[in-house]
Amino acid sequence: MSEWLQGAIARGQQVQDGFSDQRAASLALLQEIKWPNRKTEAWRYTPLRAVERSSAQIKELSPELEPVSIADLQFLELVFVDGVLVSLPEELPDGLVIEMQESSLFGTIKPERHIFGLVNDVLAADVAVVRVAAGAVIEQPLRISNLMSEGAEGHIRVLVDVAQNAKVTVYEHAESQSGSLTTAYTEFRIGADATLEHYRFALQSGNQVSIGGSHFCLLERAQLNSTIIGFGSDLQRLDTDIIHRGEKADAKLNAIYLLDGQELFDLHANVEHEVPNCTTEENVRGIAADRSRAVFNGRIHIHRDAQKTLAELNNRNLLMSDKAEINTKPELEIYADDVRCAHGATVAEIDKKALYYLRSRGLTKGQAQVMLNFGFINELIDQMPNPTLAEWVRPIIRERFAQMEVK
Amino acid sequence: MSNSNVLLSIKDLHASVEEKNILKGLNLEIKPGEVHAIMGPNGAGKSTTGYVLSGRDGYEVNSGSVTLDGEDLLEMDVEERARAGLFLAFQYPVEIPGVSNLEFLKASVDAQREARGQEALTSAEFLKLAKEACKQVNLPVSFLKRGVNEGFSGGEKKRNEIMQMILLQPKVCILDETDSGLDIDAMQVVAEGVNSQRSPERSFIVVTHYQRLLDYIKPDFVHVLADGKIVKSGDASLAKELEEQGYAWLQTEPREDELED
Repeated sequence: MSEWLQGAIARGQQVQDGFSDQRAASLALLQEIKWPNRKTEAWRYTPLRAVERSSAQIKELSPELEPVSIADLQFLELVFVDGVLVSLPEELPDGLVIEMQESSLFGTIKPERHIFGLVNDVLAADVAVVRVAAGAVIEQPLRISNLMSEGAEGHIRVLVDVAQNAKVTVYEHAESQSGSLTTAYTEFRIGADATLEHYRFALQSGNQVSIGGSHFCLLERAQLNSTIIGFGSDLQRLDTDIIHRGEKADAKLNAIYLLDGQELFDLHANVEHEVPNCTTEENVRGIAADRSRAVFNGRIHIHRDAQKTLAELNNRNLLMSDKAEINTKPELEIYADDVRCAHGATVAEIDKKALYYLRSRGLTKGQAQVMLNFGFINELIDQMPNPTLAEWVRPIIRERFAQMEVK
Repeated sequence: MSNSNVLLSIKDLHASVEEKNILKGLNLEIKPGEVHAIMGPNGAGKSTTGYVLSGRDGYEVNSGSVTLDGEDLLEMDVEERARAGLFLAFQYPVEIPGVSNLEFLKASVDAQREARGQEALTSAEFLKLAKEACKQVNLPVSFLKRGVNEGFSGGEKKRNEIMQMILLQPKVCILDETDSGLDIDAMQVVAEGVNSQRSPERSFIVVTHYQRLLDYIKPDFVHVLADGKIVKSGDASLAKELEEQGYAWLQTEPREDELED
């Protein structure tokens, strides 16, 4: 067992609050768990050295931080700084409640196999519970910001319960300063006929460690539309789980990663089709430059009763250098016989001849790169249901891409 | 010869591709307004000359110098050379599906104008220019909306190259076997496009294997490139001579020709 995990367990034993029962259960599991190494399948390409070596610490006093403002977008803001919930919306629209008290949702949607999810169960200081009442349509998007100051350690946990027929947009936003370490897990229950529009962006890179998950449980005819965007860092790991628990639920997940330098980004996307007649569409696209590494594991598990499932998963990657690395692994487990399931993964190199042709007409390398290959990323941005958020993030991505070098 | 009057100056240029020496002491001086034809057998280094001048990756300059308007060309990146006024019409233009011809042309022209300190054109202004250029090379305007060279025939690709040249208004144009794969009609269109751009300020290097293009684009000078250097230079009549004799004589009397050079 690692020293880091031992320290986490020791600290976890001190935490006392309304969630103590669940925390104790996770603590017991953690004490038994084996610290992942190269042979642990879920961590095979993602070494945990950055966690083991991290000198990040829980801060007694955190600086005041505010999330970046986005022109034309007024959020209902939920702000965590270094793992502590520091600000809630002053006024909440009808049908929306945010509380910090015991909830039976805690730990029920996030699968137990996530070791850092268990760490988060034990260490998340403030657990925020967001409830959207049945039938409520919350027009204003809710932003959950996880802001980490330099060298800080923090763990945040948010539970979102979207009751039947309700509709809400949740944007999980992260800004981490150097040397920080965070785990951030969110559990969403999307009730019958309810709709969740979801975003999770981590648009900075550096020597931070960021591990987290967004876990969704969909009941009858629930709808999920999620967009994930990640730049890499020393260690950036995200687990998404989509569980179809009610018939005719529909999930769409688009994910983008753009990696440079020595960054690492690891996305583990798992879909459980437990019941019949549900649909899943996942598009995951990434570009890796320099010596960066991307890991994508896309698992679709179609249970025996889940007939008439429609599931598609597509992963497309572009390598910009000889030393960049993409580890992509499709995993299909199908136990029902009347399903339609498609799965594809491609890795391509940037077309150097086309790049030269464009440059020979005066376009800079950056312009040419954007023109040649931004399209396939842009396509996913175009699909974001919130156009204002799309227009905000598009130039950020464009600039990031223009800076990545072809080698 | 005074340097001030030279637009492009190539001195003792040695270059290699994948460790293989291709250019072995190329010398050429081009003044504003001149049209130089470079002819020669396959493998002489004709296309390499264009790629080396344009700065293509993998084309290594081992020694020698090249200046454009007195500036060291070899120090510049590919796009800087283009912005300095060098244009290479490719023998095999690259197909780039998914990138619209119009978007590409606008970005290229914007880059040129920026380099010259001119204001960017509005989309409407540019579209007008692009349509005129299309007309000049006999390409339907609908080609502007297609992917760059995507699905174009050989002749359409070459005309697209000339259209780019017309839009970019370069100082030195290198036409790399622009006649290859063209029938007489298509060649005439291309030649007319080129001739329309001849001016006292603009110079051309017309690289070709055959003499027939030079019936339409009249050169001021003709050079024979063999084994990486110019072995013979003359006026337009040299092209005719080559047409009759072929290149076989190169193998038999290379040393004498070197002395003439």
